[in-house]
Amino acid sequence: MNARSLRPGGTRRLPTTFLVARREAVMRLRSRVFVGGTTVMAVLVVVGIVAASLLAGRTTPVRVGFSGASQALERSFTASAAALGASVTVSDIADVTAGKAQVTAGTLDVLVTGSSTAPTAVVKVAIPSNVDSALYLASEAARLSEAGLPPAAVTSAMALVPVEVLQPSTPKDTQNLFAGLAVGILLWIALGIYGSQVAQGVVEEKATRIMEILLATIRPSRLLAGKVIGIGLVGLLQLTIVGAAALVAVQVTNVASIPALGVAGILGDLFWFVLGFLFYATAYSAVAALVSRQEEVQSAIAPISIFQIAGYLLVYAALPNPSGPLATVCSLLPPFAPILMAVRMAASDVPFWQVGLAAALTVASIVGLTWLAGRIYANAAMRIGTRVRFMDAFRG
Amino acid sequence: MGQGRVVRPVPAIAGGPGGSIASGTVLEIDQVSKRYGDVIAVDDLSLDVSAGELFGFVGRNGAGKTTTMRIVLGVLTPDAGEVRFGGMPLTFDRRRQIGYMPEERGLYPKMRLADQLSYLGELHGMTGADARASATRWLERFGLAERRNDELQALSLGNQQRIQLAAALVFAPELLVLDEPFAGLDPLAVDVMSAVLREQADAGIPVIFSSHELELVERVCDRVGIIDRGKMVASGTVDELRAGGRERRRVEVPGAADDWDVGVPGVSLVESDGSRRLFELDPGVDDQALLQAALATGPVRAFERVEPTLGELFRTVIGEAGA
Repeated sequence: MNARSLRPGGTRRLPTTFLVARREAVMRLRSRVFVGGTTVMAVLVVVGIVAASLLAGRTTPVRVGFSGASQALERSFTASAAALGASVTVSDIADVTAGKAQVTAGTLDVLVTGSSTAPTAVVKVAIPSNVDSALYLASEAARLSEAGLPPAAVTSAMALVPVEVLQPSTPKDTQNLFAGLAVGILLWIALGIYGSQVAQGVVEEKATRIMEILLATIRPSRLLAGKVIGIGLVGLLQLTIVGAAALVAVQVTNVASIPALGVAGILGDLFWFVLGFLFYATAYSAVAALVSRQEEVQSAIAPISIFQIAGYLLVYAALPNPSGPLATVCSLLPPFAPILMAVRMAASDVPFWQVGLAAALTVASIVGLTWLAGRIYANAAMRIGTRVRFMDAFRG
Repeated sequence: MGQGRVVRPVPAIAGGPGGSIASGTVLEIDQVSKRYGDVIAVDDLSLDVSAGELFGFVGRNGAGKTTTMRIVLGVLTPDAGEVRFGGMPLTFDRRRQIGYMPEERGLYPKMRLADQLSYLGELHGMTGADARASATRWLERFGLAERRNDELQALSLGNQQRIQLAAALVFAPELLVLDEPFAGLDPLAVDVMSAVLREQADAGIPVIFSSHELELVERVCDRVGIIDRGKMVASGTVDELRAGGRERRRVEVPGAADDWDVGVPGVSLVESDGSRRLFELDPGVDDQALLQAALATGPVRAFERVEPTLGELFRTVIGEAGA
């Protein structure tokens, strides 16, 4: 099956689920709402990242000027600053008055005057503490040298206290955990936008009465599956575009390091994201079939949102002990697995059988939900007007 | 259409994508019942529609027409009975070859015409290329080719109706089921609609439709079924229905007294309008007795046989069923 034959006007007969998904996707990709919405989301994310980088303080080095005898401190000051993690540039200032004027004007951050053993720092408002410490270390070394200590003794006297870390935090773990939480947050956003679109699409077909023609042609579960898949793919595309814009912005502004996730980590998170979307969007479509007007959609899907909220609360309950009984059991249950398992996999080593079991249960429940939603849809689709009771729709 | 059914050759046509159909394919609705709670919507209803036949379904609101059609389409499941097409129970795949126009019109308001029609064509099993071509043909047929890229909601209601019909026809159905296809159409659109239905029937497709407009049904249909309270109370050609009804005579007797009633056994007065009176004859009653009684009052200016309209037959049949 080549790509050409899948487009409208191809020469193959295509599965109905695919046709429905293609229609949903094409209609959305063509709409101004998609183009405009994606642009606005991308711009907002980029602006947010740029703003964060500006607010996070400049990482530009502190400019330190030395005048007169204090210029002898420049080398040892630079070395001390580096040891303390302060980023500095040093320059010679010929005239103290001119240097003060530069500090006032903001073109110089610190002006050092006086002798190398008793220097004075001139600043506009305050001196960064690590620059202050570096200056102290440099002048102390100068005083020790002047007191006759050999250079090697000076160096050892000025050595910083070594710190032994017993449990070094590896950046990868925290980044994995962050990615796990991001799956949860993205799932929340995606369901808020695209899950609602699925629910609205179902009600739209009921309200415009086209479903009577559709149901004479296509099985309701396939119709719903096509709708969830089509809208889900558009959502994934939109999130990918916005995510790519965010990645570029982060890269350019250097506000944070790009998470060094492994391919397995990314695939795992994507897997749970997709399962979570399919699970909840299908459940949304089932309850949406019970109502006839767009205004009723939000109240219809509210009972399902309770499971989502419970999933997030469980994340906080489970995080302190990701392998405890609460976290283990809940992460196997389909409504919570997409959020909890992603977080647990990031926070600890989860036995393979648990991941497999959670995935199998979730997939099975998606299949079951699709069947259930199809049944409800078929039975409730002809009942326009008042909200249909769940059990009535189930029985038919 | 007063001559009864015209026997016409039924061409064997290549069917829709589901395969070819044999000529003479019959839709059989066999003892179908459906109830909603305490309400019996359809009660042991049976009817046949042959290939090439245009069958009109008439009845009051709530008589069970729409429910019957939805059962044929499989949108509703009957409590009892069976629907067969070509002798075989209607399976889901077979139902996909039925062109359907629901009573509640519905298409996607924001979808372009050509896209909408070819999407429906593909859903019914056509290839994309065939569906495009067929959509274009029907748009041309209805004079909407230039608006192929307009959204449905931009069209007038009459044009939306045309698209609704095109949606039922785009995939070359093997059977047409249309619920109130003439409702809300202007006279020109009625002509187009009836021409298209005739054409489809002539191509060998059984066509069944419901309507309130009895004159139209009388003019367009080969056969008529009258449904009341879920039951088929009468069916046949309009002539057959008439034959089952009572003979009527209109008599113009200027000399008769205002309260003149003929007084002949088996003849009853239906209506009186000045000197013109309409009588109904019980089966087997000789109209010459009526004529002689009329002549007894003075000169008879007119004595004519009156064919009841379908509307009158309908009222009679429904009245009897209700009695």
